[in-house]
Amino acid sequence: MHSILAVDDSASMRQMVSFTLKNAGFNVVEAVDGQDAFEKANSRDFNLVLTDQNMPRMDGISLTKKLRENPKFKSTPILILTTESSDQMKQAGRAAGATGWLVKPFDPAKLVEVIGKVIR
Amino acid sequence: MGETTNDGGHLSAGIDLSQFYQVFFEEAGENLETMEQMLLNLDIDNADDEELNAIFRCAHSVKGGAATFGFSDVAELTHQMETLLDKLRRHELAPTAPMVDVLLSSGDALKAQLARHQGNGGGAVDTTELLTAIRALVAGGGAPAPAKPASAPAASPEAAAATPGAPTGVRELELTVGPLPDVSAADNLVDLFKEITNLGTIEPLDAGRDADGMRRFKVITTSTDNDLIDLFGFHVAREHIRLAPLSAGYGFHQGAPGAPEEVAVDASYGFFDNAPGAPTDGLPVPTHGAVAADAPPAAPKAAALAARPEKAAAAAESSTLRVSVDKVDQLINLVGELVITQAMLAQNSKDVDTALQQKLASGLADLERNTRDLQEAVMGIRMIPMSLVFNRFPRMLRDLAGKLGKKVELVQVGEATELDKGLVEKITDPLTHLVRNSCDHGIEMPAERLANGKSESGTITLIASHQGGSIVIEVRDDGKGLNRGKLLNKARERGLDVSDAMSDSEVYSLIFAPGFSTADQVTDVSGRGVGMDVVKKNITALGGTVEIDSAEGYGMTVRVRLPLTLAIMDGMSVGVGDECYILPLSSVIESFQVQPGMIKTIGGSGRVVEVRNEYMPVIDLERVFNVPRFDFEHVSNIMVVVEAEGGRVAMLVHELLGQQQVVVKNLESNYRRVDDVSGATIMGDGRVALILDVGSLIRRSRH
Repeated sequence: MHSILAVDDSASMRQMVSFTLKNAGFNVVEAVDGQDAFEKANSRDFNLVLTDQNMPRMDGISLTKKLRENPKFKSTPILILTTESSDQMKQAGRAAGATGWLVKPFDPAKLVEVIGKVIR
Repeated sequence: MGETTNDGGHLSAGIDLSQFYQVFFEEAGENLETMEQMLLNLDIDNADDEELNAIFRCAHSVKGGAATFGFSDVAELTHQMETLLDKLRRHELAPTAPMVDVLLSSGDALKAQLARHQGNGGGAVDTTELLTAIRALVAGGGAPAPAKPASAPAASPEAAAATPGAPTGVRELELTVGPLPDVSAADNLVDLFKEITNLGTIEPLDAGRDADGMRRFKVITTSTDNDLIDLFGFHVAREHIRLAPLSAGYGFHQGAPGAPEEVAVDASYGFFDNAPGAPTDGLPVPTHGAVAADAPPAAPKAAALAARPEKAAAAAESSTLRVSVDKVDQLINLVGELVITQAMLAQNSKDVDTALQQKLASGLADLERNTRDLQEAVMGIRMIPMSLVFNRFPRMLRDLAGKLGKKVELVQVGEATELDKGLVEKITDPLTHLVRNSCDHGIEMPAERLANGKSESGTITLIASHQGGSIVIEVRDDGKGLNRGKLLNKARERGLDVSDAMSDSEVYSLIFAPGFSTADQVTDVSGRGVGMDVVKKNITALGGTVEIDSAEGYGMTVRVRLPLTLAIMDGMSVGVGDECYILPLSSVIESFQVQPGMIKTIGGSGRVVEVRNEYMPVIDLERVFNVPRFDFEHVSNIMVVVEAEGGRVAMLVHELLGQQQVVVKNLESNYRRVDDVSGATIMGDGRVALILDVGSLIRRSRH
């Protein structure tokens, strides 16, 4: 079963994402911010990282950068969930090595659909 | 992106989003609370970047959740707040007092909106003025716009255009219609849309397929969501219409590892070219929103986004568990039953023969200890810190002092002191009243303070501490204090029975008498008929006491003492005839055997007893409760002196049965209110014993 690391500082978003992904048959590990995610990512493997952008301690883009430094996550898809959809944000995401972005608010079905495109 | 899903669209792709509402409400409440605290503490002239970021994050987080879960009014207001806060954290605007005011008011409005969504009453919240004011501030306006009549609709194109650098009003939306019994009904929408000139364009997505009975369209328009929904509402029920931003909704970076092989037509997500994990098969990049791999890093502010100081609080959330209060209460109830069972076992073990009892004794002692520990641990779950109450006061005092033209500082001590959740909820109103009162009547105007050699700004101190089995909360101010003579005069005017010989504390307690107000003028702040008498009544109803200390010219202290919990109390059981009654141990002073001649009859039926040169009324419980008598030989000859509400009485009982912890069962909710009784409990032998309301018995003795 594919494992997804879902990172969001908002408990309701985490719960919603986690519920949606578990329903779609994924194994989900939650993290409350970038720092937490980074620590969890180092202790085990994930097939995909889905992270919020704006979080305390470490944001999604910094997390992406730090994960890409680790050979283990060199080719793992990393999707950034964000309410900021500016080109600027995308540019920062791409520079950090993110695979793609998904704008909040999103439909749960859309989330599953997008993830289905990168995890096969 | 202020566009959000419409209300009522909570059923999303078969997942009922309403199951996440409660978590969202709690989280949003916490975020708003944090935001308010930080706004109040914000040093406008020297705002810390990390603080501004944290405030931004609160609004941002509420917005994200609100938009996801379909609370569009909340999302709209937070979106505007976020726009303003974003400019602040990027130093494009400098924080000003009007900004803080508007943000605080917006926080209030959001709380009202959330309360309404939670079904806690309240009508629709009109945020038009707030939205206008925020937009004016974002646009660089100095002061919040004056109350503009509702002519400026929430998301009017003009308002949007007022935001410098904001994108033009043209938006690309994904319109989802359905589920419809007849999907062709959606075609009517297209026709209707096209009939109206200048509205924009509409074209089918998913090649017009009607997968799952839903039809999807791409709409490019300058109209607001509300206008569109109004329009489409002609043909399709509103709850079947859903609008979501299409523009740059998602994307993949082409060439990124893991990015999909085909590119979605709808771009609410995206992949980056050549990015790790991005799909390999590089089909045309969505025209809107995707970023070419070699695009210049046109992100002057990107650093601000990416590099965030990693200071900040540890994520305490990962080590806590949210549990509904119902579950905790059920646990407490079960432990209560366990305590009763344990008491029953202890009681019954007395009847078995000695040899067996010795065997049982140590086990029973362990059981008792473990039960008590378990009970304490379980009660601990319901304990929450007083800071939850105290936190509301900085804001309240800021507004209040501003209104009154006073300067007030608030000092909090012991806000980590824990108290039962039920009590915290009930003590909030009385405490609020006391704090208001201190600010309104206690603290003097700055000029008056200076004239009296005091500092210009007054101080209100809130102190919470544990003392024995109670919590003591003090509200102190360094204002003008109480005037003994004025209080006595006022009391005489009101026809109260007072004398100059009364002790200071008795005189000060006069302010708790109904309808008693020493304020010469009734202000808009306090003195609206709900007086200190209500405060006292509420505190007494919680089994608490309240006392006042004051020195004229130096201030006043109101001391509220409360039991830590309402669910369990230490009681003394007394026997009257065949009945057993419980007295709260905290109110018991002493007990003694009555000697002949100690009880004196005064004025016909009143009886008093002399205890160490003090006369106090005697209350014969047997008469109060009309206890049936079967044993006419026996006389009540034990006196228990109890104290409450500043008075003492001696209760005549037959015997003292012992001290024990009792689980308080509410009589009112299970039966009805009974005079002189505050509750009931189940004794070890299974009998029900009434818990006496000592305050009420003492009041009875006064008449």
